[in-house]
Amino acid sequence: MAQDAATLKDGALIDIGAVETSAKKATRDAYLRLLRFTGLRLVALFFTVVIGVYLTILIANMGGYVDEIRRAQIREGVDLRMQADPSMQRLSAEERDKFIAGEVARGEKRVGLDQPFLIRSFTYLRNALTLNLGFAEQLTSDSGSKQVRNVITERLPSTLVLFGTSNLLLFFLAIFAALRLSRRYGSFWDKLVMALAPTSAAPGWFFGLFLILIFAGLLQWLPFGGMVESPPPKSTSAYALSVMKHMILPVMATLIGAIFLSIYNWRTFFLIFSSEDYVELAKAKGLPDSMIERRYVLRPTLPNIITSFALMIISLWTGAIILETVFNWPGLGQLYFRAIGLFDTPVIVAVTVVYAYLLGLTVFMLDFLYALVDPRVRVGKGGTGR
Amino acid sequence: MRMNKLLVLMMMLMLSVSVVACDRGDTPDVDTPPVGDEGAVDPDVDVDADADADADADADADADANTEPDEPTTDRTGAWIDELVVVEEPDADKAVTRLEAGDIDVYAFTISSPQTYAKILDTAGIDYKTSYGSYTELTFNPGQCADEGKINPFAVPRIREAMNWLVDREYIIAEIMGGLGTPRFVPINGASADRGALAAEIRAIEAKYGHDMERADEVVTEEMEALGAERVDGAWMYNGEPVEIIGIIRVEDERQQIGDYFANQLQQIGFTVRPDYKTSAEAAPIWQQSEPSECLFNYYTGGWVSTAINRDASTNFNFFYTPSGLPRPLWQAYTPTEEFAAVSQRLNDSDYSSLEERAELFAEALPMALEDSARVWLLDRSSVAPLRDDVSVSADLSGSIYGTTLWPYTLRTIGEEGGSLTWASASILTEPWNPIAGTNWIYDSTLYRATGNWPVMADPNTGLQWPQRVASVDVLAQEDLPVGKTLDWIGLDTAAEIVVPDDAWADWDAESQTFINASDFYTETATALMKVTTTYPDDLFDTVTWHDGSAFSAADMVMSLIMNFDVAKEASAVYDEAQVPALDSFMSTFKGFRITSQDPFTIEFYTDNWSLDAENAVTSLRAAWPQYGYGEAPWHTVAIGIGAETAGQAAFSADKATTLEIEQLNYIAGPTLEIMDNVLAESAAAGTVPYSPTLSAFIADGEAEARYTNLAAWNEEKGHFWVGSGPFFLEEAFPVEGNVVLNRNPNFPDASDKWARFSAPAIAVVEVDGPGRVTAGEEAVFDIDVSFDGDAYAMDDVQQVKYLVFDANGDMISSGEAEGVNDGAWQVTLDSDVTGQLEAGSNRLEVVVVSNLVALPSLGSMDFVTTP
Repeated sequence: MAQDAATLKDGALIDIGAVETSAKKATRDAYLRLLRFTGLRLVALFFTVVIGVYLTILIANMGGYVDEIRRAQIREGVDLRMQADPSMQRLSAEERDKFIAGEVARGEKRVGLDQPFLIRSFTYLRNALTLNLGFAEQLTSDSGSKQVRNVITERLPSTLVLFGTSNLLLFFLAIFAALRLSRRYGSFWDKLVMALAPTSAAPGWFFGLFLILIFAGLLQWLPFGGMVESPPPKSTSAYALSVMKHMILPVMATLIGAIFLSIYNWRTFFLIFSSEDYVELAKAKGLPDSMIERRYVLRPTLPNIITSFALMIISLWTGAIILETVFNWPGLGQLYFRAIGLFDTPVIVAVTVVYAYLLGLTVFMLDFLYALVDPRVRVGKGGTGR
Repeated sequence: MRMNKLLVLMMMLMLSVSVVACDRGDTPDVDTPPVGDEGAVDPDVDVDADADADADADADADADANTEPDEPTTDRTGAWIDELVVVEEPDADKAVTRLEAGDIDVYAFTISSPQTYAKILDTAGIDYKTSYGSYTELTFNPGQCADEGKINPFAVPRIREAMNWLVDREYIIAEIMGGLGTPRFVPINGASADRGALAAEIRAIEAKYGHDMERADEVVTEEMEALGAERVDGAWMYNGEPVEIIGIIRVEDERQQIGDYFANQLQQIGFTVRPDYKTSAEAAPIWQQSEPSECLFNYYTGGWVSTAINRDASTNFNFFYTPSGLPRPLWQAYTPTEEFAAVSQRLNDSDYSSLEERAELFAEALPMALEDSARVWLLDRSSVAPLRDDVSVSADLSGSIYGTTLWPYTLRTIGEEGGSLTWASASILTEPWNPIAGTNWIYDSTLYRATGNWPVMADPNTGLQWPQRVASVDVLAQEDLPVGKTLDWIGLDTAAEIVVPDDAWADWDAESQTFINASDFYTETATALMKVTTTYPDDLFDTVTWHDGSAFSAADMVMSLIMNFDVAKEASAVYDEAQVPALDSFMSTFKGFRITSQDPFTIEFYTDNWSLDAENAVTSLRAAWPQYGYGEAPWHTVAIGIGAETAGQAAFSADKATTLEIEQLNYIAGPTLEIMDNVLAESAAAGTVPYSPTLSAFIADGEAEARYTNLAAWNEEKGHFWVGSGPFFLEEAFPVEGNVVLNRNPNFPDASDKWARFSAPAIAVVEVDGPGRVTAGEEAVFDIDVSFDGDAYAMDDVQQVKYLVFDANGDMISSGEAEGVNDGAWQVTLDSDVTGQLEAGSNRLEVVVVSNLVALPSLGSMDFVTTP
C-alpha cells in the first residue's frame, strides 16, 4: 500500500508508486538494452568467427587443391618405399602395381581423402567451433603426441615467456617514454626518438642477426639461440637463469626493432591530448607533472591503451615465425609455419579458431571496459553501442 | 617511481620464466637422473680435406681396410667420448659460425649450398666430410599433346638426346654449384660399385655427349622441321604460334638456377620457355600425376637422394626409363625401344648367370639410355658435413656422417679419450621413437642407431658388410647365381639345390602364437636360392647386456623373429594393416629359418632374396638380431608396447594410431610414457611373457620378473623406456628444448678402436707421367702413381686400373687395363698399333682407378702430342 500512497508536496500530487515503477522500468529497459546489445554482439561475433574459420579452412586447403598435393605426396612416399625395397624389385610389374595401389588407397583413406573435400570442410568447421581440436594430420608435438591440444600447448609456455616478456617490456616502455616525451616536446630526447623511428622499418629478427653475430659469434658472451643451454640444467633456478640468458638477445632484438617507432606513435598520440585546454589549465594551476600525466592525459586515452594492450596480449598466441627461426626458439610461430608448409589443416584451424575466439572475446570485453573507463560510452537505445 | 616500475618489470620477467620452468617440472620425461644429393669438381680438394683431419686423428688407422683390425691400441671399450650432447640447428650458415666459435663440434647435415661451402673453406679450424649421395637430372614429358594445336618437342627421343649436348654440365657445376658436383651422364651413381666397374663404357659416353651447342641445335632443327614447325626470326613456330616449353622448376635448392639455365639454353635454340617455379608439394601433382598428354609441363628439375652406397644399379634402367618403373601417368608414357626395354627388364630381373653377362647387359643398356633420354642426368652433387678440425668421425661416402652406423664408434676428439662433444642436427626428435614403427627421420634414426648394436656393420666406403656381433656367416648360393664375395671374413659356397628343411619355421600362426613348420606350410618340398648360416660367438650372452642391466638372451632374438610376422597377422592382438605390405614383401622371398643351436646361437635363413655380394645378404644377416625396423630393443620393452596396443591405449604405428584416434607409442617422451608405465606395473605383477607358447622356451625362470624390475628402475632413473645394447645409451631427451644427451655405455664389449680404420675414405690420388711427345707407330710407356694420403696404394687394394686413349676429336680409340708394377705403381703401354691410330695433334690418356676400399673411382689424365 505504501508504494501506492499519494503525497502532497508543493501543491503537486506525486504518485510514488508510479515513480518507482518508472524507475524500475527504466532499469529493466537498460538491462534489456544491455542484454539485447550483448546478444546481438555475441551473435555477430560468432558469425564473424564462423566465417573467418571457414575461410581459413578453404584457404589452408587451397579450395581443395591440397587434396591433389596430398595424393601426390602419398604416392611419392609409396613409390620411394617400393624403390628402396629390394624384394619389391623382384616382383612382377603387376604385383608391384597392385601393392602400390593398395598402399596408396590405404594412405588416402587414413588422411580422409576418400571423402570429398566439401564434406570434410564442414567436419573441420564443426570440430573447430566446438573446440574439438582432434589429431594432427602430419605434425607431432615435441614429445611425440598427435593431439593438436598437445602440439600447441607444448609450445605455448616458451612462446608466452619470450613474447610476453618482450611485448610487455615494449608496451610499457613505449607508453611511459612516450608520455614523458609528449610533455617535453622538442627536447633532445624527443628529437632523438623521432630520428631513430625509421629504424623500425627493419623487423626485430633483422637486428637479431647482428646481435647474434656480435654477442654470440664475436664476443661469445651470449648463446647463439635456443631456449636453454645444452643439456638443460637440472635445478629449476639454474634452468630459469639459463632461459633468461637465452632470452636476452631475442628480447633485445624485439625492442630494438620496434621501440622507437612505438614511442613515436604513442608520443604523437599523447601530444594531441597534452595540448588540450584542460591540460593547460591543470598546468596553469600548478599541478605536478605526474598528476597531469595520470589524470589529464592518461585517463582520456585509456580506452586506446587498453585496446592496444588487449590486442597485444592475444597476439602472443601466434608467436613470431622469423624471430623464432633466427633464434631457434621453440615457439608457436615456427609450429604454425611448419603446419602451413605441411598443409596440416587441424593444426592450422585450431590455431585460427582459438585466436578467433580470443579476438572475439577481447572485442566483446572491450565494449564493456570502454563503458567502465570512459563515462561518455553508453549502451544507446535500439541496442547500439556508442 | 622508476624503481617501482623496474621492479614490476623484473617480477613480470621472473613470472614468465617460472611458467616455463614449472611446465618443465610437470613433464615426467624431463627431470630425471642418469645410469650405468653431388662430381666433385675437385676431388683432390675433398680428399685432402678429409685426409688431413683423419690422418691426424687416426695415426694408427690402417689404410688397408680389407682386413680385420690389428690388436687393440687402447684399453677403452665402446665409444671414444663419454657424452654426446645433441642440439638442433636448422640454419647451416649459422652452424658454421657456431663451429668456428666452438659452440658445436659437428654439424651432422649435408650442405650443398655454394655460399656455405665457401664459408667453410674460408673458416679456420673447420674441416668437412664429403658425400656423394644425391644427384640432379632433367625429367622430360615424353607424351604427345592431346591438343593438336600444340607440339611437345620432348616427345621425340632425338630431341631429348640432343639436350645432352645442349647443357654444359661443367658450367653448371662451376657457376651454379660452386664446385660441389661432378658431371653425370648415366643412371648410375658416382659413388657406387657399378660406376667403377663400368668406368670405360661411361667415359666413352661422356666423351660422346660433351657440351656441343651446335650439334644440339642441328638435331633439334631436323626433328622440329619433321614435326612441321618452322623457325621464324629465330623462334620455333607451330600453327602460327610460338612453341612454348613449360619448365616445372623446383625452388628449394640450386635446381632453381639450373632450371633457369636450361630455360635459357632452350631459348637460345629458338624455344619460348615459360618457367613455373614450384615447391616439391606443388610440383608433384603436375609432373607425377598429370596425364602427359595434357602437356602441363615439358621438363622438370628432378633430384634424387641415395643414403647408402648402391652396390647394384641394375634396376635403374627399368625404373627410370620404362613403364614398369611405376604405375604413374608419366612412367606409363615412356616408350623405350623394344631392345632397350628387353635389356632393362633382364637387368631388373637379374636374368643373367655371370657377372660378365651382367656387365655386357650394362654395356648395351648405357648407350640406349642416352638415346632414349627420358631423363638427362646433369650432376652428382657433392655435399659437405662440417666439423671442427680437432674432431674425427667416419662418414658414409653416400650418406655422410648420419648415413653410417659407424659414427658412434669413431666420433672423438683427436688424441683424446673421454670428454664431451656437441653435435648439431638440422632437426631433432621429429617423430615418436618406438622400435616397431617409430620415426624413420634421419635425424632420429642417426641417434637411435647409436644406442643399438648390430650383427654386421656397413663399410662406409664400399657398402659391404663387416662382422660386428656375429662370429661367422656362411652363404650357400644356388649354382647359377652370380654371387661373389670381396672380403675374407664371409664364407661362400654354391649348391645345385638348396632345400628348406621340414623343421624350419616358414610362417607364424598368430592365433596359437607358434611358428608354422615348413613341412606344414609348403605343399611340396621347398627350395631357396640362398641359405645363410649365422653363428654368434660362444660368449654372446655373457658379453652383451642391455642398458637397463638385463642380460641379452636368445628370447630377444626369437622375439625379433616373431615380430616380423605377428603385427601383420589379422588374428594378432597388435594387428596393424599398415604392416601387411612389409610382410607381403618379406614373404615374397622368404622361405624359412631354423635355429640349429642355442649355444652358440646359430640360425639358418632360407631366402630367394639374393644379392651380388655375399656380404650383403642383409635381410638374412639381420633377421634374428633384435634390431627392429626403427631401433634395437629387448623383448621386455617391446612387450610393454604390445600391452599398451592390446589395451587400445596407444599404437606402434602412426597409421593405426591415426585410424583409432589414439597416440602413437613414444618410448622417450610424451603421454604414452604413463601408459607404458602402467602396463609395466601390470606385467611385472603378473610376470607376463608375451607370445608365451613360443617365447617361454627361451626364457629362464625369473628372467621376466628380473627384466621388468630392471626396466622399472631404468624408467625411474632416466624417465624413458628406450633400452638398447649399443655403445651409447639415451641419458635424457628434452623434446621442447630440442636436446638429447647420449652417454657412453661402459659395458659395451668391443675396443674403442675396432672401427678406427674406417675414419677416412681411402680415395686414391692418381698421377700420370710419361712422354709429352709420342711418335705415331712407336710404343709409348706411361707411369701411373696411385696413392692415398702420401702413401702408395697397396696393390691388393686396387681392383682395377683402366686406361682410355682419346684422340684430338675426343673419340676413344683404345682402352685396356694397366699393369701393376708394385704398390702404388702401375704402367700403361700403348703399343705401336694404338699410337699408329693417333693423328698428329693433342691426344689424351685417361686412367680410372677402381679401389676395393672405396666405391668412388679415381681419375687421372695426361695430354700428349703425337707427331707423325
